[in-house]
Amino acid sequence: MQGIRNNQQVKQFRALLKDPLLLVVLLFLIFFVVVAILLPILSIVRESASDDGRPLFIRYLSDPVYQGIIWNTLILGTLVGVIGTAIGFLFAFVQVKLNVPFKRFMHLVALVPVISPPFALATSAIVLFGRSGSISRGIFGVRYDIYGLDGLVFVMTLSFFTITYLNLRGMMEALDPALDEAAINLGANRWRVFRTVTIPMLLPGIASSFLLLFVEAIADLGNPLVLGGNYEVLATRVYVTVIGLYNPTGAAVLSIILLVPSLLVFVVQRFWISRISVVSVTGKPTGTPQTIENPFVKWGLFAAAMFVCLMVVLLYGAILHGAFVNVPGVRWDFTLEHFDFVINGIGSQAMRDTTVLSSIATPIAAVIGILIAYFVVRKQFLGRDLLDFGAMLGIAVPGTIIGIGYILAFNTPIMIGGVTIIPKLTGGQAVFGGALAIVLVYITRSVPAALRSGVSSLSQIDPAIEEASVSLGADSARTFRRITLPLIRPALFAGLVYAFARSMTTISAIIFLTTPQTKIMTQQILNEVENGRYGNAFAYCVILVVIVLVAIGVFYALVGTNTGAERRVKGR
Amino acid sequence: MEEQSKQVLLKLVNIVKEFPDRSGRGAVRAVDEVSLDIYDGEFLTLLGPSGCGKTTTLRLIAGFEMPNQGKISLEEKDITQQPPNKRDMALVFQNYALFPHMSVFDNVAYGLQSQKMPRAQIREKVNSSLNTMGLGGLGDRRPNQLSGGQQQRVALARSLVMEPRILLFDEPLSNLDAKLRVQMRSEIHRLQRSLGITSIYVTHDQVEAMALSDRIVVMNKGKIEQMGTPEEIYHYPKTRFVADFIGRANFLPATAKAVTNGQVSLSLLGKQIETRAPFEMAAGTEVTAMLRPEALLLRKDASLPQAIIEQAMYLGTEIEYLINLDGTTITIADNDPRRQHMFAEGETIGIDFIPEAVHLLPE
Repeated sequence: MQGIRNNQQVKQFRALLKDPLLLVVLLFLIFFVVVAILLPILSIVRESASDDGRPLFIRYLSDPVYQGIIWNTLILGTLVGVIGTAIGFLFAFVQVKLNVPFKRFMHLVALVPVISPPFALATSAIVLFGRSGSISRGIFGVRYDIYGLDGLVFVMTLSFFTITYLNLRGMMEALDPALDEAAINLGANRWRVFRTVTIPMLLPGIASSFLLLFVEAIADLGNPLVLGGNYEVLATRVYVTVIGLYNPTGAAVLSIILLVPSLLVFVVQRFWISRISVVSVTGKPTGTPQTIENPFVKWGLFAAAMFVCLMVVLLYGAILHGAFVNVPGVRWDFTLEHFDFVINGIGSQAMRDTTVLSSIATPIAAVIGILIAYFVVRKQFLGRDLLDFGAMLGIAVPGTIIGIGYILAFNTPIMIGGVTIIPKLTGGQAVFGGALAIVLVYITRSVPAALRSGVSSLSQIDPAIEEASVSLGADSARTFRRITLPLIRPALFAGLVYAFARSMTTISAIIFLTTPQTKIMTQQILNEVENGRYGNAFAYCVILVVIVLVAIGVFYALVGTNTGAERRVKGR
Repeated sequence: MEEQSKQVLLKLVNIVKEFPDRSGRGAVRAVDEVSLDIYDGEFLTLLGPSGCGKTTTLRLIAGFEMPNQGKISLEEKDITQQPPNKRDMALVFQNYALFPHMSVFDNVAYGLQSQKMPRAQIREKVNSSLNTMGLGGLGDRRPNQLSGGQQQRVALARSLVMEPRILLFDEPLSNLDAKLRVQMRSEIHRLQRSLGITSIYVTHDQVEAMALSDRIVVMNKGKIEQMGTPEEIYHYPKTRFVADFIGRANFLPATAKAVTNGQVSLSLLGKQIETRAPFEMAAGTEVTAMLRPEALLLRKDASLPQAIIEQAMYLGTEIEYLINLDGTTITIADNDPRRQHMFAEGETIGIDFIPEAVHLLPE
């Protein structure tokens, strides 16, 4: 009886039609998802399935060199996934279950990697631990070859573990302490509680953290470019195929190969893990979580977490320090010429362009994400899940693939019946020197985060609160403006911060889209690193972080809130 | 209520509401061909267990759900397709649904602002409404700074200030503790009677329903089981479900001996009695006799049918006995609970009843 449900949805859709404003907004959102996300992905699929493309699958998959690259990618993803999850778990555990000093400090250190350009850490790792690294050679006197798998895993876990830390910490805090107490009350010791209650309850979170990191690692382009050495992965191979060999068909085929594990993980994550999740967020915990007092466990974990913090601090310290010295690693005398280069010199265009484009993309991405969340959570209509899924593809698909998709989809104007629907967005003579494509990519990559934070925020608001507004005579626009939006302001704030930080630091998706007219900071940083001008790269990084921090302050002033009322959104 | 004052205000005709079931393939009928007239000024309660369709019916009336079939009209105007914000009704929600980011004053003023009422008038109305509800001086507070009872009053004030044609209540007292619930119950009763505002009230608490209502509609599995005044529903239930749901009930099998002029004679617990036949029956029809626990009496009398006391519970206002009569458990409430009268568990005792309290149900 599939018909009944469809019938229901059709009915609900008719109800939507009665509200012209809602309908217009919905159509706009669908148009955005189709054009900015689905079209580029489909272009890759089409290109790879073309007559030139299909034979390449067989060639690549049977070529030992490419097989090696695929293996490299999977091994890297797995290692980063495992180690990053472990570190994230460690940090979450220390925050929630241990009573130790410096918890606030550890929390802040764990947040730092969120707003750093992707290869900042890789470059800094070279300076500190590379062949002539100031720690490896300077202190220990070894000429350590950091290029390759070991360096990549080291840098990537430290760059990406924040997300797993926040994820797992949220789950640990949501665990009802009464469960622990019940287990102890039934005679279990601490270790048994951890093994039989804590871990099983967190398993979905651990699994999803691993998968997130896995995808993040195999999609990353910046770190492998800087630190990969001979260790080639799919993302770098795709890059070389486009930039070096100018073979978009080959790149499309490789993209599809890279896309398979990424999408698989995304689907597993969405349709399986979300279903087996047993952690129920009930709002107020009934007790306070008990802390672990065994000194060996306590101080052992503390030491491990502090060691990770030390690494992060060292790497970032090296960036900050390196920005002010002549040639990091070689000549240590103080200079401001790197900053001069970025702020007043050739680098200033990239700084301006990136900030302007990100500032344009950020509010649009946050609003689109929140609006899609609103429709997904509150409205019934045909294709609702597809809209959600389509929007999420913006981040589920590796950035390099999005970039190539844009080249393939928008290198020529899209015309219907002789009328230009979408002008040429990429390559030479693109509109606004390719800036429009870059803004679109920024939005595409940022919408998913705003969408997710919007969804989780909205689903915590009792629909009765909105119904009460309607019952009191307000229409849907007024209800959204006066009731819904103020209540999800924290989600909007998070969406804005994330969108801006993501836009400022993204590289893989826009590396193919920059043109001589439009310069992007992350791309410039890569250039400087590749030419060994680490000082300039570090100055770029420092300025980039400062811009992001200033922007966060601005967003906080605009939409941030401290009334506290938003915390109690149950309407009771 | 006088017969001639019964003006139909709201009319539900053959309302059907289906929801997709868990698998998404089939459909569940939440409301199954419900027809209902609501009279001007009355207090009507939809009563039933959870999942009986009472809340869905209320939401259909409010306009938050659209029926798959049927028609709803208000004062003879079809409002079936009218969106909820255009309906002249106000809903009081189970969780109050106060706007947490607004002050109490702004919460109450919200609906009037939607109507574009002049500001001075809004202030006057809101303040008088807050005073009526005993909330004077709390206008600047946030909802989360109020007690549960106060929040409930704000929710009521917010709806009342709209002066709606119909006031809808969705289990408004279910989140309050027992004492407060009784207090709010009498307050709602007083308000409704003094304002004469037509009210539709949803609850699963039969005491609440009886205390408040002019009429009760008992629902089960999406259908209306019985409609009537609280007395009718309590003393003359039409089905075993209604009898059981409205208070405690004992069911004893019996056979009609003779039926004349709507009176039936039968033998019950060793007594010959005559009672009203509430439905078609003839001599020999198997029926079920319903007896409320307070209609049964325990006596030390060997001529009565003998039973064993299985459990005796002292409840303050009464003693509740569970007795075993030839394998059937019967509940008896002794409303004269002086300790010295209490029979002991395991005691064998005679069982008697008030013949006038017997009500017959189909077998």
